[in-house]
Amino acid sequence: MTGPLDGWRVLDLTQGIAGPYATKLCADYGADVIKIERPGLGDVARRIGPFPGDDPHPERSGMHLHLNSGKRSVTLDLKTATGRALLLQLATRADLVVESFRAGTLERLDLAPERFAEANPATALVRISNYGQTGLQRDWDADDLLIYAACGILQVTGEPDREPVGIGLYAPLFLAGGIAAAHALGAMRAAHRDRQPEVVDVSLQEALAGSMDRGGPNLVSFQYTGTLMVERRERILISALPNGVFPAADGYIQVTTQTNWFDRFCRVIGKLEWITDPRMTSNLNDTLTIGAEIEAAFYEWLLPRTKQQAMEEAQAEGWPLSALNTPADVFRDPHFAARNFFQRVEHPLGGSVTLPGIAVHFGDTPGELRRAPMLGEHNVEVLGELGYAPREVAALRAQGAI
Amino acid sequence: MSDGKPPLDGVRVLAQGIVWAGPFATMILADLGAEVIEVESIQHLNPTRTNMRHIPDVVMQGIGGSYYVNRDGSEGFWDRQAWFNYAKRGCKSVTLDLGSETGRELFYELARHADAFLENNAAGVVETLGVDWDTLHRVNPRLVMVRFPGFGISGPYAHHKGYGTNMEAIAGHTMVRGYRDSDASTTPASLHGDPNAGAHVAWAIQAALLARERTGQGQLVEIAQAEAVTHHVAYDLLDYAMNGRETGQRGNTHPAFAPYGVFRCAGDDRWIALSVPSDAAFVSLCGVLGQPALAHDERFATGAARLRNRDAIDALVAAATPAHDAQALATQLQAAGVPAAPLAHQQELHEDPHLRARGFFSPITHPAAGTHLYPGPLAKLERTGRVPPFTPAPTLGQHNAYVLKELLGISAERYDQLVAAQAIGQAYLESATA
Repeated sequence: MTGPLDGWRVLDLTQGIAGPYATKLCADYGADVIKIERPGLGDVARRIGPFPGDDPHPERSGMHLHLNSGKRSVTLDLKTATGRALLLQLATRADLVVESFRAGTLERLDLAPERFAEANPATALVRISNYGQTGLQRDWDADDLLIYAACGILQVTGEPDREPVGIGLYAPLFLAGGIAAAHALGAMRAAHRDRQPEVVDVSLQEALAGSMDRGGPNLVSFQYTGTLMVERRERILISALPNGVFPAADGYIQVTTQTNWFDRFCRVIGKLEWITDPRMTSNLNDTLTIGAEIEAAFYEWLLPRTKQQAMEEAQAEGWPLSALNTPADVFRDPHFAARNFFQRVEHPLGGSVTLPGIAVHFGDTPGELRRAPMLGEHNVEVLGELGYAPREVAALRAQGAI
Repeated sequence: MSDGKPPLDGVRVLAQGIVWAGPFATMILADLGAEVIEVESIQHLNPTRTNMRHIPDVVMQGIGGSYYVNRDGSEGFWDRQAWFNYAKRGCKSVTLDLGSETGRELFYELARHADAFLENNAAGVVETLGVDWDTLHRVNPRLVMVRFPGFGISGPYAHHKGYGTNMEAIAGHTMVRGYRDSDASTTPASLHGDPNAGAHVAWAIQAALLARERTGQGQLVEIAQAEAVTHHVAYDLLDYAMNGRETGQRGNTHPAFAPYGVFRCAGDDRWIALSVPSDAAFVSLCGVLGQPALAHDERFATGAARLRNRDAIDALVAAATPAHDAQALATQLQAAGVPAAPLAHQQELHEDPHLRARGFFSPITHPAAGTHLYPGPLAKLERTGRVPPFTPAPTLGQHNAYVLKELLGISAERYDQLVAAQAIGQAYLESATA
């Protein structure tokens, strides 16, 4: 067994970030994922980049190489009757179909959920869209920043006197993709068990609005008390001890210091005498009395140290201080290195690419990171499995169906 | 609409998942129909409910009280906590003192009746308590165990303490977000990695259960939260790997599109997020903002030109948007083919017409907290999904009798002895600690 999902078959009609991340979780962990792409252009992720040398090429886009690992690519023109017929033939063999077209697109293509149910009643169809398949805003266009604005969490992210700031390029879509994947496995299980179809409506807005940390809990806090738990507000000094981001010799560190960890703090920065000094211990919440003294001692310790040194010394005493890694630091981080997390993958046109690796470690069925497909690379192979001879595949190509 | 048994009908999950990641995982699993039993105790506080046995009034009136119903700190406040009651809807609660021989034996018995156990206690805790993988695998070879400590169970940082902020720091996430023109100390704290880990846990349990159908065996699954978050930083990591480039904090900028970002609108804290992914969208934007001349300005004529002059065009848009109502402007822009969204306020989300039409919020009546609107579930399963009204989150130890008597079959006498000996109960002991 290579992965926990060995033997399951996924028909992947998604593109971009969220849908492909959901199906990447299938492909990296053993499922046979057939990725349907538009002839010629393919997945939009092939145009996102980053590209080596900033030279755009559909087989060298970093996001494509990352998100479509382990999938097989088949090009189908769903605007043609032949393309749609081939798609439904593939659906007869699929346990799970995932799509991320704009809401209503499948219906316009005469590929409504009933078509997939007719092709195979034991199939789950997961539909990922910005605002869901129903409702007033179902046709609204969005991207990662816009959907983060619509879900409500952006409002509570940032400084109070200026614009709210996003959570990082594409990050909300990765999160939503993981949420979609968890629901997709449930739907697939139910369809398989009951030999009856299941259709799932995933609205990215809702998946994020209800997510932890500042989504669902903030919404329910408001229902409970009329105030939000987290807002864009002035930084509050929660004690005289350091909490937050601070500069070290070569960058920044992140630290949390609860007052009951004062002894750890003192041991690390070499102020053992403070541990038993009542002037300190009785004023830990009092920033006015001892805040400046604490801060000065903290900086005196921190500023000459690299972030890695500071982290090692602090964590040895159980004080949660971590380096703020930059992308370069991430690749040389000793923890990721020891765990062989990043993996080099060879691609015939993309070259040698280092990708984030397997993040879910199954003891007995580990799965594996395999390279992303070239556009239409598996046309002959996959259509061959449907019984088409290479000659017939060539004819389909000539028609423009694939 | 739902007519079928839920997907995870008949699947029993034991949970000791704390704060954000664990509850997010069990929320999804319970929404999908698993019987989730939160294993708590009256000897130790469940940090998802509270860190303090009594909450001082000064804390209750501040941020620390913002998630307890009416900021009421009277006895039983831990059953009136927003995060717990949100994420644990549909779950059950049993109290067992795993530090005692009796509690441990009862947990093993429970593990024999379970399909999965998920935990994210601090490093070393499950070993100390005797509920580690080797032991549980002997107790029930079909049990799946998912562990998701911040940095994993091996490697130089396995012993590191930390929160979501620490995982994101190591993953490189913190350094690529935040304001572009400020240093990292202004980057807002987030625990984005927690729900991400939780979603992966909910996914992994299901994947391992599918594998079990073929192997007959449970397995140990490990998720290092820090590793899972690196995927979210893929664009910047790959840009470094391919080009040796570090862009730093991106703020609200986009690598390919301008204008782009979050712009102030009329009213108090009203903003619009918008994106201009094409020349046609730019012409539309200029028209809607009443500045058609901008569309002919050669500095902004092409996508590449707009990127080069990003700050100039963003400033011109920022000067124009404050005259507009965010909702009306977004509606106009969408109609004109420009992607846009008004900034939603969480205080108003339950009244949002679109979400109301979709039934995203629904009331749940909780025995201790009362009746409130809750969001969710996160996805709609047409045939086998749960529909409102949802089962409320459990009060502490609410399902002790169900779990111990019905499930494990202990006698009424023994149950009463456990209660009398304060081994189990429905309120924290005075001596309970975090």
